[in-house]
Amino acid sequence: MPDSLPEIDRSLLGREFERSVSQPITAAQIIRYARACGETDPRYVEEGPDLIATRTFPITLRREKYVPEGIPRDLMYRGMDAGKDVELGAAVRVGDVLTAVGTLHDVYDKTGRTGKLRFLVLRMVVVNQRDEMVAIVDQKMMFR
Amino acid sequence: MSIESPGSGVAKRSFELGDELPSLRLTLAQGEIADFVHAANQAAPRFISDEGARADGLPGQIAPGNMSLAIFSRLLDGIAGAEVRRLSATFRAFVQPRIPLVASGVVTDVENGDGGTLLHCDILLETETGDRLVTGTATLFLPNDT
Repeated sequence: MPDSLPEIDRSLLGREFERSVSQPITAAQIIRYARACGETDPRYVEEGPDLIATRTFPITLRREKYVPEGIPRDLMYRGMDAGKDVELGAAVRVGDVLTAVGTLHDVYDKTGRTGKLRFLVLRMVVVNQRDEMVAIVDQKMMFR
Repeated sequence: MSIESPGSGVAKRSFELGDELPSLRLTLAQGEIADFVHAANQAAPRFISDEGARADGLPGQIAPGNMSLAIFSRLLDGIAGAEVRRLSATFRAFVQPRIPLVASGVVTDVENGDGGTLLHCDILLETETGDRLVTGTATLFLPNDT
């Protein structure tokens, strides 16, 4: 029986499809996100020179594109967010300008209990204005 | 999100295989999920309301995966002075509001180095009744001088 898994153009692998540059990060953004995470630690919620963003803040960056050209945007709504792998580097502070670069990192198949599954791994690398790695986020989308 | 039993911010400096992290107990309110997704630039209807989620064919409002990562980050902050270096999560089932949750972790490996210690942990978000919703692993760095 033919499967209905989406065909993915593998020539897209590794190619940068998106580069977003943030406005300087504000204390209000950092504190709002921290409070939404339930944080009460002064490091995350009190304005001042010691304020830093909670570790998952970089994941929330607003981006221009979430998938490469050549992959239908609606495809992502058909898939399931299967998981994330996040490597974390420099802390985010007020005034940082963050650049997020997106690539299609991997495409692979697995056979599960319910049949064949296809996974897309979308990678976002975030660096700050000093070119320090802030985060590498691999988002796994699963299709069945 | 409100945490019913926040991690105690343990100042423990020495860890062994099998040590448990201070667990978190929490129940997400619908409004807390909505607040989170607005703050996290992720305001899709499925995360905002039951109606929005049902329009997407879901049983009701769900929390985004990023909120589960944020819960894990809170869990790992339970070790005072530790810095989360890596966080990995597999989303196994929907995380929904109004359901009591428990986040927990256990140390699976300890690497002592010059500047500090790397702790490798298995982490878990489950319902109070034991349904495993999100499983994951984490690596934390615990500097010697904290």
